[in-house]
Amino acid sequence: MNTSREKTANLGLLNITPIFSDPIMPSSPIRRFFFPALTKRFFLRLLLLSLACYIIFGHILIPLRIQGMSMEPTYQDGSYALCWRLQFLLSPPKRFDVVTVRFSGRRVMLLKRVVALVGETVEFRNGLLYVNGNPVEEPYVHYRSDWQLPQRTVAPGHIYVVGDNRGTPMARHQFGEVNMNRIVGGVLP
Amino acid sequence: MNNKTVVLILAIVLMVGGAIFFLPSDEKKIRNNLDSLGEYCSTVKDEPLLDALQKVTFAAKLCTDPCKVHIESSQIDHEFGQKEITDRLLMLKKRLSNTTFSFEDTFVDIPGDNRAEVTTTLRLNGESVNGRFTDAYEIQISVEKQDGDWLFSSFTVVEFMKK
Repeated sequence: MNTSREKTANLGLLNITPIFSDPIMPSSPIRRFFFPALTKRFFLRLLLLSLACYIIFGHILIPLRIQGMSMEPTYQDGSYALCWRLQFLLSPPKRFDVVTVRFSGRRVMLLKRVVALVGETVEFRNGLLYVNGNPVEEPYVHYRSDWQLPQRTVAPGHIYVVGDNRGTPMARHQFGEVNMNRIVGGVLP
Repeated sequence: MNNKTVVLILAIVLMVGGAIFFLPSDEKKIRNNLDSLGEYCSTVKDEPLLDALQKVTFAAKLCTDPCKVHIESSQIDHEFGQKEITDRLLMLKKRLSNTTFSFEDTFVDIPGDNRAEVTTTLRLNGESVNGRFTDAYEIQISVEKQDGDWLFSSFTVVEFMKK
């Protein structure tokens, strides 16, 4: 039988033949993958896969599209990330962790960095962050402006979060002490 | 159970399901009003003044007269009449050209026959004099039923992040 594969080989050309028009492989694994037989088993697998996707990407590893510049340059406007909800299941957020903070639900969230924990004091002097009265080195901050914020103590059950982009005026930047129950998870990558 | 019974049961289930899905419930009416409010407040670039005026009038009609607005950080705690709402919204539209107002993560609680509480996230995407911006606020809205219409009676911005 003279198949298309043999024809291309005889011509001495590169053996690139269209997979789906090849009569020699009507039930090849690739073809079966793209055009599966509609059996009961197929529908069961489809149902389980859909359920797994819904649970994973709807509740555990939530895809995020970043809008805004409050976390630049770490997270650029228009980039993508994932919210890993199990990150703080066993241990609370640590300093410098990037967390997602929810509003009324999980469709719109803020991306912020933890800079101070419960009982610590936090303040800004000339744009520099001070925790417990000591200056904090923040290598992730590239844009800085003259932020001034008097000292305050983080209340129990709260953490203090700020965006990495300190180039915007303080009044236009959403940051501050937030209740732990507002923290949805960590951010990957 | 013969085929006729199965078909009858299926038809009843479909009718009940369809009625539940398509008939407007109080919650659906409130959600629709919220979507309309977002649409009326949104602006397009170089929006004609007449269009803008018509939209803000429609937006004001979705609110009670007066309607209370409370924004603690801006020290706003004031009751606005319909005319004042129209004027303020028109000013806002002028300042924010090409801006989309949308409400996400909306939860509606209807504890009484004529009263409801809505918790939602207002999302703004657009342009101001300082360039492109994106912003979000959690808002609690009180809704009242007046003459069969659900109207927004108060807006409170929830400030969960304290500087």
